Amino acid sequence: MSSTVVRLAVTLLLTLFLLALESVVVKYLGLSVARIDVTVAIVAFLALRAGLLEGALAAYAVGYLLDLMTGQPTGLYTLVALVTFLLGRFTASLVDVRSAISFAGFAMAGDVAHGLLAWAIGGVTGKQLHLAALAGLPLEVMLTGLAALLLYPLLRRFGLGAERREPGLLGNR
Amino acid sequence: MLSFLRRHREPLLVTLLLAYAVLNFLQSNRRVREPNLVDRVALGVTAPLQRGVVATVDGVSGTWSRYVSLRAVRQQNEGLREENGKLRGEVVGLAEVRAENDRLRRLLHYEEASPGPKVLARVLGVNPDPNRLTLRIDRGEGDGVRRGQAVVTTDGVVGQVLRATASAADVLVVFDPNCRLGGRIQRTRARVGVAGAGDEQALKLEYLLRTEDLEEGDLVLTSGTDGVYPPGLVVGRVTGVQRQTSGMFLNAGILPAVSFAKLEEVVVLAPQPSAAPFPVRTEGRR
Repeated sequence: MSSTVVRLAVTLLLTLFLLALESVVVKYLGLSVARIDVTVAIVAFLALRAGLLEGALAAYAVGYLLDLMTGQPTGLYTLVALVTFLLGRFTASLVDVRSAISFAGFAMAGDVAHGLLAWAIGGVTGKQLHLAALAGLPLEVMLTGLAALLLYPLLRRFGLGAERREPGLLGNR
Repeated sequence: MLSFLRRHREPLLVTLLLAYAVLNFLQSNRRVREPNLVDRVALGVTAPLQRGVVATVDGVSGTWSRYVSLRAVRQQNEGLREENGKLRGEVVGLAEVRAENDRLRRLLHYEEASPGPKVLARVLGVNPDPNRLTLRIDRGEGDGVRRGQAVVTTDGVVGQVLRATASAADVLVVFDPNCRLGGRIQRTRARVGVAGAGDEQALKLEYLLRTEDLEEGDLVLTSGTDGVYPPGLVVGRVTGVQRQTSGMFLNAGILPAVSFAKLEEVVVLAPQPSAAPFPVRTEGRR
């Protein structure tokens, strides 16, 4: 139990650090540069390694932090992170992810799902669905894949969600 | 029943968490809420982190500039390499200091030309969501920054404070699609609406009758009618004027006066006497 709390705290601190770093990097590169979804890389890692409840709680917290950093927290990213985690957990039961490159691919797929979910849920509830809002998604997915490649050793070192025994959506019963 | 609950405890708890997330999102009604205690703690942690990262990046880029200068001098003259490298490094450093001095002096002139309470702030970062265009600045409630205050530079309008915590604040920039402000064409004094278009290179000019006089390059200023921005601040110059054969209003864009990609320092203005409730439209484009 205590190790779960420690891992959760480490996940949150790492997320805060990466979000702060990302916001500064994007500022230096210019506002028009697409964002890097570092939180999706973390959620993807949790989907691969964490237990169902621990991972869901961590994904919720990661989404909450992303929501908070947007300046206009509405709970959208909290919900989307949780759904992305569950989708990722289901997908993890179908694929074998053991290397940094395969993790980058997994995170990129997660980013596509994350971006589409945020666009669709946000658009439907806001009663506006513009395809133009997805124009930056391909570049964001590429940047997120690159970030996932670089983050993989770090995430493994921190041992986020190291408790998982079996893959699959309901795999840790 | 109990054994079922015990056996499926984790999936049930996750389902509850998911339901809570859905309800929380639907209940938020896409409105900006005031930061609660947890928000403030998280934001309180990120602001110093961002400051640290900015300081580190500044340090590294300064060191890199000096290194590049040193290498250039080494190639030109082996004998004077060390002396030249040192001088060039200093020149780079001085140029940076001079540029900063210029910016601060212009802000000081702005202070003299436009008296009243103001807070000078440094831009820390950009938020991670490309659909919500906000900047983080290093001044917050502790410095007198409050939600709804106008944020400007000597070049013109930047945006308005969306949320403030003790030591930092988020600024919604004018080119965000949720941002609206009242404007005026300087040459003709015609009142117009200005809206963000999600592109830092263009704002939308709204509600100007098709029959009105408008030319490319006309200067657009704030009108002061929105209760956020004082009148007379530069918004930008008119571009892309299109007069349709039908319809009530003409279409035009505005090239913002402020270069958002180069923003480093900003000034937060005191609330306007006739400050209306926060005029940000939070529904819409995601």
